[in-house]
Amino acid sequence: MALNKINETHQLGPMSSFFLIQVTQIGIGFFSFQQPLSRFSAQDAWVACLIGGLSSLGVMWLILRLLENEHKYGRADLFSIHTRIFGKWIGGVLNLATIIFFMLYAAIYLRSYIEILQVWIFPQLSILVFTALFCLLIAYIVLGGMRTIGGIFLLSFVYMIPLYAETVFAVPGAHFSNLLPLFDHGPKSLLLSVFYSIHIYLGSEMILFYYPFIKHPEQAKKWCYFALLDTLFIYLMIMILGTAYFSQGEMKLTIWPTVTFWKSITFPLFEHVDMINIVYMIWILLPSMALSAWIVSRGIKLTFPVIRQKYALIFVLAVFIVVAEIVYNGELVATANALFSKLGFCFNYIYIPLLLLCQWIVKKVKGEPA
Amino acid sequence: MRIKILLLCLFLLLLTGCLPSNIIDDILMVEAEGYDYLGKGQIMGTATMPNYVESGNPGSQGAGLPSTAAMMRYISGVTYDGKSLVDKFQPEGQRQLKIGKIRVMLFDDKLARHGLSKQLDFRNRDPDTPRDLTLAVVEGSTREMLTAADYQTQIPVSRYIQDLIQQNSQQNYPDSDLAQILYSYYGEYMDAFMPIIQKQGDHLALVGVAAFKKDKYVMKIDGDDVFVFKMLFQPFDQGVYDYEFARGKHIALRNVHTSASFKVRNGNSSSPDIYARVKISAQVRQAFPGSISKKNADHITKLLNRHLEWEARQLVHRFQTYRVDPLGLGNTVRSFTYRFDGHSWPDRYPHARFHCRVNVNIVQTGISQ
Repeated sequence: MALNKINETHQLGPMSSFFLIQVTQIGIGFFSFQQPLSRFSAQDAWVACLIGGLSSLGVMWLILRLLENEHKYGRADLFSIHTRIFGKWIGGVLNLATIIFFMLYAAIYLRSYIEILQVWIFPQLSILVFTALFCLLIAYIVLGGMRTIGGIFLLSFVYMIPLYAETVFAVPGAHFSNLLPLFDHGPKSLLLSVFYSIHIYLGSEMILFYYPFIKHPEQAKKWCYFALLDTLFIYLMIMILGTAYFSQGEMKLTIWPTVTFWKSITFPLFEHVDMINIVYMIWILLPSMALSAWIVSRGIKLTFPVIRQKYALIFVLAVFIVVAEIVYNGELVATANALFSKLGFCFNYIYIPLLLLCQWIVKKVKGEPA
Repeated sequence: MRIKILLLCLFLLLLTGCLPSNIIDDILMVEAEGYDYLGKGQIMGTATMPNYVESGNPGSQGAGLPSTAAMMRYISGVTYDGKSLVDKFQPEGQRQLKIGKIRVMLFDDKLARHGLSKQLDFRNRDPDTPRDLTLAVVEGSTREMLTAADYQTQIPVSRYIQDLIQQNSQQNYPDSDLAQILYSYYGEYMDAFMPIIQKQGDHLALVGVAAFKKDKYVMKIDGDDVFVFKMLFQPFDQGVYDYEFARGKHIALRNVHTSASFKVRNGNSSSPDIYARVKISAQVRQAFPGSISKKNADHITKLLNRHLEWEARQLVHRFQTYRVDPLGLGNTVRSFTYRFDGHSWPDRYPHARFHCRVNVNIVQTGISQ
């Protein structure tokens, strides 16, 4: 009973889920996550980072359960789950809420990146021009379909490897005694830090939307977990290095610790590595933005079948541009990011378990599919 | 379709030149800044920039710029403490002044004693400032140091100063770039320090290390004590220590490797015990004739151990009386103490007991007996 089966020529191999998840997870939080984490648990922030990352494995298990259960009923993505379980109207409203959530999420993501560009390199950068150009690029990628998006993800993963490797140059400036004494914080402050670490691991839930596009999903499972572990490893390294590199007093004042320690890496003729890296980080932004635009435009297409995805995409990109313009200063960016990290937390850690519960109840009430 | 692509290309063309560009020949790159304190919150600021105008090509007639077409070399003027010199001097700048590659920042000792909080805050806030920027305290006038034309070397003075400090921080002097200074200035339970330089006739010299309490320079570590300071502060491998074991009789050691490890007991008591163990592997550079050979190396080593331990204790004792902590001993105590009581640390620090064991290992005594 495979309704709306995705044509195999549009599908990605099972290993793509590794790149898709790993790259969507590493986002704008990469620049700044050390500071909110160490606010509550100082030198033990890396423990919070570890716990947060491990909990994302749990969420991934829930998501995969949800999707595998759904597989029997037809297309396994969040939009179909909504309409199947809650009916056309309530499901439609939930779909709409999801669409709006991801649309704003992506727009704020884009705007946060622009903020960093403006603060660090180009204070005169026009938001409108940048977003417009960027949206053209996204349109080009999304119109290419899921396979093009997957390709961009692969490229992004490969391009980012030198960036992570390069942080090794900050090691000579590190004071590893900063990590001592180990485990000096109580569960309360640690849990607060874990809560703030959740938002850096967000992004993996997007598999809820592109799951039907993965060929042999049962083989993709292990790659999903590998991706989460890889992200965990990267964040843990950066967190430990950040704690060792900055004193706690300095950390409190530093808004973007990652960029600041790039600042201390210099090569002859290559003095400001931080600036090169910031511009280079556009490769972390591009795939995630393209995927979000794809998800949202596809969501619009599925919810309102009269609208074709192409036109939905134009609307989505217009919203990106408008939202990026509305959020006019750094204060608003911070507020919006705080809001979305809380919403993301609710989505992953509250809504998804609830959805799994609903799915189970529906299965008990209506019985197995024929 | 073709028209669409054409439009797209046009769009891209229109976008070029939206942002100001910084071409290296068309800007004045500030490489050194000097601040002299005048009192009442006023400072005399000096900025220097190197000259990138190419000299006239002697082989061709009139091609290239004439060698006299040098750009301005320095600007100085009076402003308030904490003002960005680049902004201050822009009206006097021949071209746009840029701070992105600043190498050296100098403060005269009056300003250092007055306090550097505004300067350090500004440098921590500015995204353009490189973190390997060299900061130093100058004995005398920074303006004179930066604008003097009587140096032996022809290279810009900013590079001269940076070379001097950077190569010495491979040897006897401790690392003190902006990253290190901000680390200890903003960090808890530790204090910053900077090297002190002085213009001595036609050259520059490092004469010691200035220890800061918060943002104020309060104590000078003399050039002779810098080795002892560095051996407690960080591992290093190219220092030279001169030991006068009897009147007029010297032994100089070049250390091959030095490392210090710390232990702390009773970190939350009113007088914590700090144990430092220093291991030095060294080779003899020079020795008083007949004073050292493979046989009696042990004897000298023992004397040297006792001497260095004594010096280290004296140094820490001086820090404690001045209540400065450039070694970051407070941070060491914190890292060894669960539930560290940070509030009372400033009161407990002068009473901390510092124990030091030095173990010198002379690996070789030269190529002659």
